[in-house]
Amino acid sequence: MKSIFFKNSKKLLLTILLVLIGTPFFAQSSFDKFEGQDDVTALIVNRKMFELMSKVKVDASDKQAQQYMNLIKKLDNLRVFTTTSIKATNELKSTADKYVKSTGLEELMRVNDSGKNIKILVKSGGSDSQIKELLMFIEGSGKTDQTVLMSLTGDFDLNEISILTDKMKIPGGDELKKASKNKK
Amino acid sequence: MKPIYSLFFILSLVCVGCNTDPSLQKYFVDNTENSNFLALDVSPSILNIEKNKLTADQQTALASFDKMNILAFKRTDKNDEQYQVENKKLNTILKDKKYQQLMKFSSGSSAASVSFIGDDEHINEFVFYANRKENGFAVVRVLGKDMNATNIMTLMQIVQKSNLDMEQLKPLQQLLK
Repeated sequence: MKSIFFKNSKKLLLTILLVLIGTPFFAQSSFDKFEGQDDVTALIVNRKMFELMSKVKVDASDKQAQQYMNLIKKLDNLRVFTTTSIKATNELKSTADKYVKSTGLEELMRVNDSGKNIKILVKSGGSDSQIKELLMFIEGSGKTDQTVLMSLTGDFDLNEISILTDKMKIPGGDELKKASKNKK
Repeated sequence: MKPIYSLFFILSLVCVGCNTDPSLQKYFVDNTENSNFLALDVSPSILNIEKNKLTADQQTALASFDKMNILAFKRTDKNDEQYQVENKKLNTILKDKKYQQLMKFSSGSSAASVSFIGDDEHINEFVFYANRKENGFAVVRVLGKDMNATNIMTLMQIVQKSNLDMEQLKPLQQLLK
């Protein structure tokens, strides 16, 4: 009797483990479908890339480069999707909404700037400014306006991100800068 | 009994040999002669640089780089079918876990990716892939021994300073026509 119970609980444990392992994959794949769509431009930078980049030896006297390297070590994945099509914008929006609900991202700030609707959401880690995921959604209004969805995962400090946006010229960098300043 | 054992041993060696043989390499070899493809080998001499003028760091970086193999498919209206087939084949090869993907990009009809083989400090191969529905696709293998991120950065600096010997890249111009 005892052994049967033991067996079952083992099975249960395994199932729970499998589900837990599976969740991040499901969560990620919610955006992956936009990859390769005709009217969506996608850029995906994998953890390996950040790992590799962080191994570059930099001049110890160059403070900015050092900061930059420190941040890169803490990053996991960067995904950027941009589109000018209205259909894709709506799809991106609904996917992002679903994703936000399922992962429990909190809104950090919301800006309405000349027809552009900008939302920045974060998943907090240990401390207040420590962040596990940052999601930014910029909804463009017209044909010339791009809709941008950016997701950055890792374990980093919000204040550090402005270094990255400065260096990598990620769309929406200015808004992020404002957001990190507000939080300070 | 003994000969059987040794036979097994040899057989297993052969099998292992097949498995470790990089499939991308095979793909390159298989298609070099194909008229739809354009194959090109680039040696470090393309940099056209005097080695004794380099710093020690730059020399190690240069030494880690061995050669570059380029294979490109030029798409025309006639070979669209083959283009689809070959592009699919190539993508299957690159999906192998052996190729650790660094980043990828896709936009409408074009796509690109960068991957590598090895571990962080000992990279043996970089693979660049680019595809554009109108023009075709290209794969570039950068081969070396123990390449690492620092070496790459140094190498980039060398490339920027050097006066590239464009003769070696001339065949590529056909692609853009």
